[in-house]
Amino acid sequence: MIADVSTIVARGMGIRRGGRWILRPAVFGITGGVIGFAGPRGAGKTCLLSTFATLRRPHVGALEILGHDTGNPAGLRAARALLGYLPGDFAWAADLRVGDFVAYAGYYKRVPAGAVEAALDRFELRDVASMSLSMLPADMRLRAGLAATCVHRPRLVLLDEPFAAIDGGTGDRTEDRAGDKTGEKAVDKAMELWPVIRSLAPTVLVTASAADRLVGRCDRIFTLARGRLTEPAVETGPSHRSAPRPAPPVRSRRAPGRTRPQRIGAGV
Amino acid sequence: MCDLGRVLRLDARRSALLFAVPVLAAIGVAAAWRTLIPGVAYWDDAVMAVSASARVLGPAAAAFAAWVGMRERRLDYLRGLTVRSPATGPLLDLALLTATTLAAYGLVTVVIAGQTVLREEAGRLRPLGLLVGAATLLLYVVSGYLAGRLLPRPLIVPATAVAAALWAWLRHDGHSWWRLLPPADLGHVELFTYPRTGVLAHQVLWSLSLSTALVLGYVLAAGRRELSTLPLAVPLATALVVAAVSTKRLHDYDGAAVLPSPTGLACREWPLTVCVHPALRTALPSLVAEVTPLAARLTGTPGAFIRVEQRPAHEPVSIEGGVAHIHLSDLANGYEQRVEDEIRGGLVDERACADPRRARSAAYTLMVNAWLLDHEPQNAPGTAAARRFASWDEQQRRAWLRLHFADYRRCALVESHFR
Repeated sequence: MIADVSTIVARGMGIRRGGRWILRPAVFGITGGVIGFAGPRGAGKTCLLSTFATLRRPHVGALEILGHDTGNPAGLRAARALLGYLPGDFAWAADLRVGDFVAYAGYYKRVPAGAVEAALDRFELRDVASMSLSMLPADMRLRAGLAATCVHRPRLVLLDEPFAAIDGGTGDRTEDRAGDKTGEKAVDKAMELWPVIRSLAPTVLVTASAADRLVGRCDRIFTLARGRLTEPAVETGPSHRSAPRPAPPVRSRRAPGRTRPQRIGAGV
Repeated sequence: MCDLGRVLRLDARRSALLFAVPVLAAIGVAAAWRTLIPGVAYWDDAVMAVSASARVLGPAAAAFAAWVGMRERRLDYLRGLTVRSPATGPLLDLALLTATTLAAYGLVTVVIAGQTVLREEAGRLRPLGLLVGAATLLLYVVSGYLAGRLLPRPLIVPATAVAAALWAWLRHDGHSWWRLLPPADLGHVELFTYPRTGVLAHQVLWSLSLSTALVLGYVLAAGRRELSTLPLAVPLATALVVAAVSTKRLHDYDGAAVLPSPTGLACREWPLTVCVHPALRTALPSLVAEVTPLAARLTGTPGAFIRVEQRPAHEPVSIEGGVAHIHLSDLANGYEQRVEDEIRGGLVDERACADPRRARSAAYTLMVNAWLLDHEPQNAPGTAAARRFASWDEQQRRAWLRLHFADYRRCALVESHFR
């Protein structure tokens, strides 16, 4: 049985791309909090996230987002209204002004008047609203991206490697060259954004290239490798201890399909 | 509406649409100019030249649309995850691309129409002909955009351009019915002809219905067959039926795209009456000046003429009853000499001159031709006859021609004729 409060429920969901399994059929549920997905480059994190974002259809199985079955059009539209997705690269918007960028997103989210201004205030972008994104440092660009993603106050936010552009994907001071102040600053800026990310929505999914980047920042961490999603035992950090622990995914019925689905998470 | 305007403005800026308009227009003007009949201001030809510019402008517009489609796929995280229809973003893109391409096409039309008006145009402006090009471009834009959207790889841009160009080029110069499918290659609409209205109408319908079917098909697919989009299946089916009917009708025309057009001639009466198609009226003074000496030299012979009349290309040239019938398809350099040569060609039995046994007679004929046309004699025979002819003055030569015209016509001149 999967908890009623699960934000994402996958029932025998499998994802294929280029003739290989990105995710073998699996049964799992994801509840609230900040959830990390780690995996090496090419493991399929982006593909997995865009499937959760309903931009891709699962190869097999069923996917429920916030209680809506994405397999039927009405459920799909309802789910889409409640989620926000920020891909790793949104460089296309480089020549747009911050205010225009957020307003552009607001049009498609059909937000009421004033929501764009509220998003600019919420993400502390008011002072740079008239500047083009290309003029801003990476952390401010990320803030603008988050504002556009969350202009409609989604209940589920999916962020694909949000800090890659800021700290080059290392996320760790120890990996910086000795005396490299720029690297340290970047990591500090990334750290400053974590509280913002935690406040985006009841459920936030974040990907990173390595699990240790997410340790201490996420409530739960999954690792995606060779088509399998696992939840390794990791030490929890301070942020984890202070955050409400999400309900674990629980036992599911047998998923459809010939492949026996993985069962992921404690209690499965 | 204000928000929509802002979104359209941002999309237009990101897609460099303002830059695309002059580039596409320049391509279109170059293509249309190449298709015009040189020196002729004939509305039917001008309109078809504008329409035919779609053969070059279309692949360029399709490639541009494919690039935009490919590029905009990256926005799906914003535009696809919408409470609006998931087709909203692509439909706005298509609206902008269509506006851009049609703006470029409009510029091409203005340039070609302007030069036609400035050159004392003739014929009738047929707006349906302009619609053919516009509808064809719409089809190119829709196809290119959807290709870029469905296969978002950089290679799709050149692939779309090549495929679109091949579609136009493979039917070039053919005579089968499918050359009438847009973008049709009708070539020049010659003087004394006009494009069939039915062909133009079915070409417009063909392009519009296929464009509509593609867009509706995409909207249906994007909506994942949502119940609210299902009613679109009816117009989709209708569009496909219209496309099929148009194809059948174009097939029935069997490649015949133009019809003869009875046209009154424009004439100049003095010192000789010369009448040509009104689109060529600017050529009248030079034609009169060119053929008058020839007419004077033929006076009193069976080849004499006092009137020159242009005839459609399918009618033979001849000199009958004092009227010389000529062809004149354009006003490219040397058109006066071409007319003169044509009249002169009607005087002599060219087949007889081609007989090797009459080589000497042919040489004498060429010598006389050179005089008639005021040309320098080429390879004149070095005979006493040739020297004698060269020594005669104009009046002596005219008198001689009146006497020996029959032999000249039969290519039967011999030395004794020059004594």
